[in-house]
Amino acid sequence: MSTNIFWQESPIGKTERQKLLNQKGCVVWITGLSGSGKSTLACSLSRELYTRGKLSYILDGDNLRHGLNKDLGFKAEDRVENIRRVGEVAKLFADAGLICIASLISPYRKDRDACREMMQGSSFIEVYMNMSLQLCEARDPKGLYKLARAGKIKGFTGIDDPYESPLNCEIELKEKEGECPSSVAMAEEVIAYLEAKGFLQNQ
Amino acid sequence: MEGLAIRASRPSIICSLPGVDVGSQRLPLSDGFLRLPTSSYAADKPKLVAKSASLHPISAVNVSAQASLTADFPALSETNVKEERINGDKNKPENIVWHESSICRCDRQQLLQQKGCVIWITGLSGSGKSTVACALSKALFERGKLTYTLDGDNVRHGLNRDLTFKAEDRTENIRRIGEVAKLFADVGVICIASLISPYRRDRDECRSLLPEGDFVEVFMDVPLSVCESRDPKGLYKLARAGKIKGFTGIDDPYEAPLNCEVVLKHTGDDDSCSPRQMAEHIISYLQNKGYLEG
Repeated sequence: MSTNIFWQESPIGKTERQKLLNQKGCVVWITGLSGSGKSTLACSLSRELYTRGKLSYILDGDNLRHGLNKDLGFKAEDRVENIRRVGEVAKLFADAGLICIASLISPYRKDRDACREMMQGSSFIEVYMNMSLQLCEARDPKGLYKLARAGKIKGFTGIDDPYESPLNCEIELKEKEGECPSSVAMAEEVIAYLEAKGFLQNQ
Repeated sequence: MEGLAIRASRPSIICSLPGVDVGSQRLPLSDGFLRLPTSSYAADKPKLVAKSASLHPISAVNVSAQASLTADFPALSETNVKEERINGDKNKPENIVWHESSICRCDRQQLLQQKGCVIWITGLSGSGKSTVACALSKALFERGKLTYTLDGDNVRHGLNRDLTFKAEDRTENIRRIGEVAKLFADVGVICIASLISPYRRDRDECRSLLPEGDFVEVFMDVPLSVCESRDPKGLYKLARAGKIKGFTGIDDPYEAPLNCEVVLKHTGDDDSCSPRQMAEHIISYLQNKGYLEG
């Protein structure tokens, strides 16, 4: 008789995971030119969230290109696929209850909007690092602007490939009177948004 | 440069070492690293004093070079490293490097009170992979542990929706799932991957992505006849009727693992081996290996 029993356990879902973590899963998508401070903000945000006992994880173009996206190059269709895959992974992370911080130039509006579509409307938080090309180029943390100006890299965003700024992002961070706010101040602004929208409340 | 890198478990830790004027220049530390020159802790190992009683370093390592610091702690990236080095005497106390690091794996493990890993459940269609994955996820949740299940079905509609069932796409399907599972493990999540994954080579490739021990292969050792008699999705029937080609177990091979961590063998006695019991078997393994603590 017992062999006819079909065991059915109700699966653990997003709600249960969010209760365990005391937070709501979401994707914080940080976009902007190379050198605009995306990774710095991502680190700062992740640290500030950690001090509040919240679990986050950073997905960035660089670390993914050595793993999941190592089969992709820099031609146009590969760039689209790169963003698509990051979006899909971010969606899984948000479903797991994590605050997933995606930090990528992601220069084309269409690709970022496609990622937004993938998520349930309110869980995609687009953060635009609106720093001037001048500021970014002056920083040039990886020496890429120099190479691009010398013609050694083609299709580099901001130099010979466009950056399409968001039209309707949730958070815009920019220079104030020529000064860039500190990464902690910018992280606090993102956290204030997350708090206001209920992502950091005990579930 | 020889040195000692101390990672604080919380921000604002203050460390001092007798004879090294560290404190006044560096207070408060962020939750990055404080790096102290070798001369400060020579063979007699002077005592390191943590001034905040409630906070303590959670890891301290000897580092022999800047490069090894970033290799040991991949969370650190070049762009986050701020180096303050004075040319000349590298034994001077000012020759300290400190970093603003992102939160690393060990921080997340502490927060979650578990260690991330991948439970890779492999076996024929109908062998009970999803059932065990579900029971495992539930049993771990009851212990306050965070899991996430990746299965062939949910991933094929999202990340892997561009892939077909041709041989190279099947390999790519497994590869991508392996890479995502690796990311989840790095978060600190116990990631349960539940896929037929019939080829040994593909599973071994996924194993190689992860640090030793973090890939826990679970083989659902259930005879084809039992799987076929269950046929939960009606696929064996379609395969036998020739309506599906290359179906694992019928006209495509399943290569059983040669050296997996857990084997769940069908005994023919459903009373002695419920999905919950099989889940507990996996949990015992995880417990013994320390994955259920921070």
